[in-house]
Amino acid sequence: MTYEDNIRTKGTPDAKKPLISIKNVSLSYGNFQALTDVSVDFYQGELVGLVGDNGAGKTTLIRIISGIMPPTSGEVYFDGEKITKFHPKKAIDLGLECIQQTIGICDNLSVGRNYFLGREPTRRVFGLPLLDKKKIREESAKVVHDFGLRDTVDVDDEIALLSGGEKQTFKIARAVTFRNRVIIMDEPTNHLSVRERARVNDLAVQLKQQGLLVLYITHDIFQIHRIADRIVILENGRKVTDVPRDAMSAEVLEGIIRDGSRAPVKGTKPA
Amino acid sequence: MRRFVARILRKHPEGITIGLVVLISCGFAIITRGSWLSVGNLQALSQLTAVLAIIAFGEAIVIAIGEIDISVGSVSGIGALTFLGLAPMIGSGGAVIVTLACGMLIGAMNGVLVAIVGVPSLLVTLGSLFLFQGVGYVITSGFSFAATNTVRSQLIYKVVGGGEVGGINTAVIWALVILAVLQLIIFETPIGNRVLAIGGDTPSAFSRGVNVIRIKFGVFVVSGVLAAFAGVLDAAFIGYADGSFGATMELSAIASAVLGGCHLAGGRVSLIGTLFGAFILRGIQSFLIILGVQPQWYILVVGLLVVLGSLADRTLTRIALKK
Repeated sequence: MTYEDNIRTKGTPDAKKPLISIKNVSLSYGNFQALTDVSVDFYQGELVGLVGDNGAGKTTLIRIISGIMPPTSGEVYFDGEKITKFHPKKAIDLGLECIQQTIGICDNLSVGRNYFLGREPTRRVFGLPLLDKKKIREESAKVVHDFGLRDTVDVDDEIALLSGGEKQTFKIARAVTFRNRVIIMDEPTNHLSVRERARVNDLAVQLKQQGLLVLYITHDIFQIHRIADRIVILENGRKVTDVPRDAMSAEVLEGIIRDGSRAPVKGTKPA
Repeated sequence: MRRFVARILRKHPEGITIGLVVLISCGFAIITRGSWLSVGNLQALSQLTAVLAIIAFGEAIVIAIGEIDISVGSVSGIGALTFLGLAPMIGSGGAVIVTLACGMLIGAMNGVLVAIVGVPSLLVTLGSLFLFQGVGYVITSGFSFAATNTVRSQLIYKVVGGGEVGGINTAVIWALVILAVLQLIIFETPIGNRVLAIGGDTPSAFSRGVNVIRIKFGVFVVSGVLAAFAGVLDAAFIGYADGSFGATMELSAIASAVLGGCHLAGGRVSLIGTLFGAFILRGIQSFLIILGVQPQWYILVVGLLVVLGSLADRTLTRIALKK
């Protein structure tokens, strides 16, 4: 199935199974209701823009999808299978790579060790599984330099020595290289220069064309409207809009985000 | 030059500790007119250092995950008492196994409360510090446990600190073996990489699929086992133990780790440095004894070193990571 078929058929019921299906998911932190009854489906080969203002619940939603926390109620299905155990390891094993906004890098480890964290390559020495340092060094060096990190970056150096933009590039490089079925990008263009931004956006489109599901979280509706197939807008923890890109202009969508808070919010659940 | 210093600090945090070792060795040798450097004193010093270092290695890996274990002093006391209490009945070999199992259980208790329940490790291990100190006082009820002559003649007893090889107490060999094994695990295996990752940034490590609960639990178990084993080694050397055995060892262990270049906030650890840190502390202790200073001064010095060490730790980390 080509990517265009994908887009065409996904609107019709049962034509194609969603890769990730969120059903009536709610999540509360104590008294604070971060997500309320959110249902949304994501399909393979599409680039979905997940948009909303600060505190809309975007990051919470992707934290559930990437297994960092379980929902308070509701269900998550991956490839038709209900997820019962929420753990990042499980999500990674299912083929999901997430570029988190604030986490994902351990400052005290070297670039190479960060690159392979959680999936360290080993070699057997007298039957003991020791880190394959040569492989860690060579593979991570190749990837980070392919992604345009300066040549003076030594993958044996602590990652804390990189700049904010370089760290962001590193996270993207890592997610893209280990790509499997889903890539989630949480504000991927933060800390990046204009040119780097364009490159990340091109990359998101390429990944989608390779058949991956790309979830792109951003504030910037104009940026995402240019590249996404579908736009999902969250507001105060609820899904307020879920439309194909062509159905609404970026200006109209921006109006929804801007005025969303004025729309009546149904009674928030007491704790 | 600054870059060079920063690089040394990053890659070899124990460098400063080794410098200190040389410095105080020379200083103490001169002040004591050589008696500090005498063969007899160095032999005693090596045994004392080995026991402290083994406890401090456990402490260092707990610090590596960004936690702290202050129960190690009383756990080593429980280790000593269990070993000496059981050895006459079931033999030294059996007593060592039961003692290690005790250390494992205490470590597991700390580990469950910290890793699964989520209680801050300072509180949990402060509680178990007093709990097992209390147990020690209760089971000895004012008396002390001593190794019988039969026990002392057993080979295992000699192997676990009660004997020496070529003038060197067996505890020293144990300390070096444990150092080598831990060094390999922490710096050369995936588990070690994850231990350091948790210490550096727990949420990030978790997001990369690291099983934080299992590793934290495991680290507390290792710390408990090592503390109990150190208690065995010291008890076998001394031959008897009372309820206060191991008291204040936790402070010395933390001081050793800090002096050795372990970063108290976690993520940076030097086991070799910790060994030298333990040597410095024991060196100061024996120096004070040779000078005839009241032993109470030692605790004051250790406390001071922990405070100064933490201060230096912050400053040095800042220099090391300056871009």
